[in-house]
Amino acid sequence: MKRRRELFVGFLLILPALIVLGALYVYPLILSVYTSFTVEGKYGLANYAKAFDIYWRDIIYSVLISFITTVVTLIVSVVVSGYLRFKSWKFLELMYKLPLFIPFLIVGHAMRVFLAPHGTLNNLLTRILRIEELPGLSRSWIGLVWAFVWIMTPYATLIVLGAFRSLDSAYIEAAQNVGASKWKIVVDILIPMCRPSIMVAFILTFVRTISSLTIPIMVGPASPNMITVNMMFRVNYFNDWGTANALGVISYLIVMVFAIYYLRFMAAERGGIKA
Amino acid sequence: MRRFSILKLTLKVVLVFIILLFVVGPFVGIAIWSFARVWYWPSPIPQEFTLRYWSEVFRQGRVLDSLVLSLKIALLTVGFSIAIAIPAAYAFARYGLPAERILLFLFLMPQAFPQLPVFINLARIFGKMGLRGNMWGIVMAHTMASLVFSLWIITATFKSIPLELEQAAQNLGASRWRVFWTITFPLGIPGVIAGAIHVFLWSMGEFNAAFFIGAPFIQTAPVLMYTASAGYNMQIASVIAIVLMIPSLLFMFVIERFLKAEYIAGIGG
Repeated sequence: MKRRRELFVGFLLILPALIVLGALYVYPLILSVYTSFTVEGKYGLANYAKAFDIYWRDIIYSVLISFITTVVTLIVSVVVSGYLRFKSWKFLELMYKLPLFIPFLIVGHAMRVFLAPHGTLNNLLTRILRIEELPGLSRSWIGLVWAFVWIMTPYATLIVLGAFRSLDSAYIEAAQNVGASKWKIVVDILIPMCRPSIMVAFILTFVRTISSLTIPIMVGPASPNMITVNMMFRVNYFNDWGTANALGVISYLIVMVFAIYYLRFMAAERGGIKA
Repeated sequence: MRRFSILKLTLKVVLVFIILLFVVGPFVGIAIWSFARVWYWPSPIPQEFTLRYWSEVFRQGRVLDSLVLSLKIALLTVGFSIAIAIPAAYAFARYGLPAERILLFLFLMPQAFPQLPVFINLARIFGKMGLRGNMWGIVMAHTMASLVFSLWIITATFKSIPLELEQAAQNLGASRWRVFWTITFPLGIPGVIAGAIHVFLWSMGEFNAAFFIGAPFIQTAPVLMYTASAGYNMQIASVIAIVLMIPSLLFMFVIERFLKAEYIAGIGG
């Protein structure tokens, strides 16, 4: 009886938070799925047909960009984490965290200035290399990936480095005693033993990349676009909520494929789901 | 031996330069632009400098207005987010609620799942209720999406406070309410502050909700920055970008010791 009363009090305490989440998140989320299946009050798949018809290239493009970003981000964070696991270097420790809290939109603007044809980077490179002109990277897929990697690396590194550091030194010392190089230790011991954390970094980076609107509108090429940009155009210029929501649901599905893969992986890895 | 160390030093200097170019380089461009009056290629620096755009931040004008609006929204969001999160965090830390993991994960959803469609539909719902183009609509959206930061950080903080301290007070006859206000809450203040800072930073830089819900009547600083940058008004955009970046950089040093990867998973957006 006492336990039941306590549970009731506990439930009352979380109720305001649940109401906020339900009314302002769950309801619009359901509405987005519902709207994607309705055309002028009737149920149907017309919005999806239209979305695939106009944007099939952009859907593939979004997945590819997110995938490339994630792979590059993970390579950079493993290299940085591997270095910092063995050596302390205050400068690098500060540098990898610097972009952590910078809002995405500002990163977009800064990268646009930095990577423009006559931007800061080319200004410097043309002088060092003593050449006249270099192509600009902003408004190209390379610039887009560059901006994404810049903003995604800090927290991917935070996760990977955290895992590297919490790993028992005994494994590393044992490998060092038999003469393994540091590089070999990273590849053969640290990465395999920290696979769950690296997977978390992988999923989170991928999801944040494919759901970002601000960076693609600031640095992405005019065409093809990330699907988030298409959603914005559909709403702002065409007032076409059906197609916008169909694209939204497609982005949910892409993310869910990865999430399910992740849960399966975790289940296999640890014999159960554990966050 | 000596030559070897010189080689090593050179390598290190080159490495430092490359890291600086990659990490700090993007800031340099906008810092120069914020003072530029005329800047044509191929000059490495602007031909003419001006403080005009910076002074616009401190004088009456749309830049100041948008910054004040963003600040108001961020402070209100922090207030609501913390007020809702504290009781919930206490319940998660002390009442042994069923399905705790799943419930806590639900609050991460707005940050770890595509949020743009949700904000677009929220803007549509708010439109029917007259909350579109209204500051309170943005505050509500920001409170919802930032709950994960305050809730997760404060829950972890309350969990880290030893239960014995509370039991001791309870044994001496203090009510649960009194125990909370005299023991748990004061000890949890660092977590509350860390949560508040996360919420504040996120709200100040948030674009998606502010753009769709605020449109077309009100512009927060990030939305004005987007409009300026899209219209090639590089100076105004750069000034706002730098002003918005300062708290992010400052707080990064302040709360570095509170940093845990899972808390910051959604910062930015």
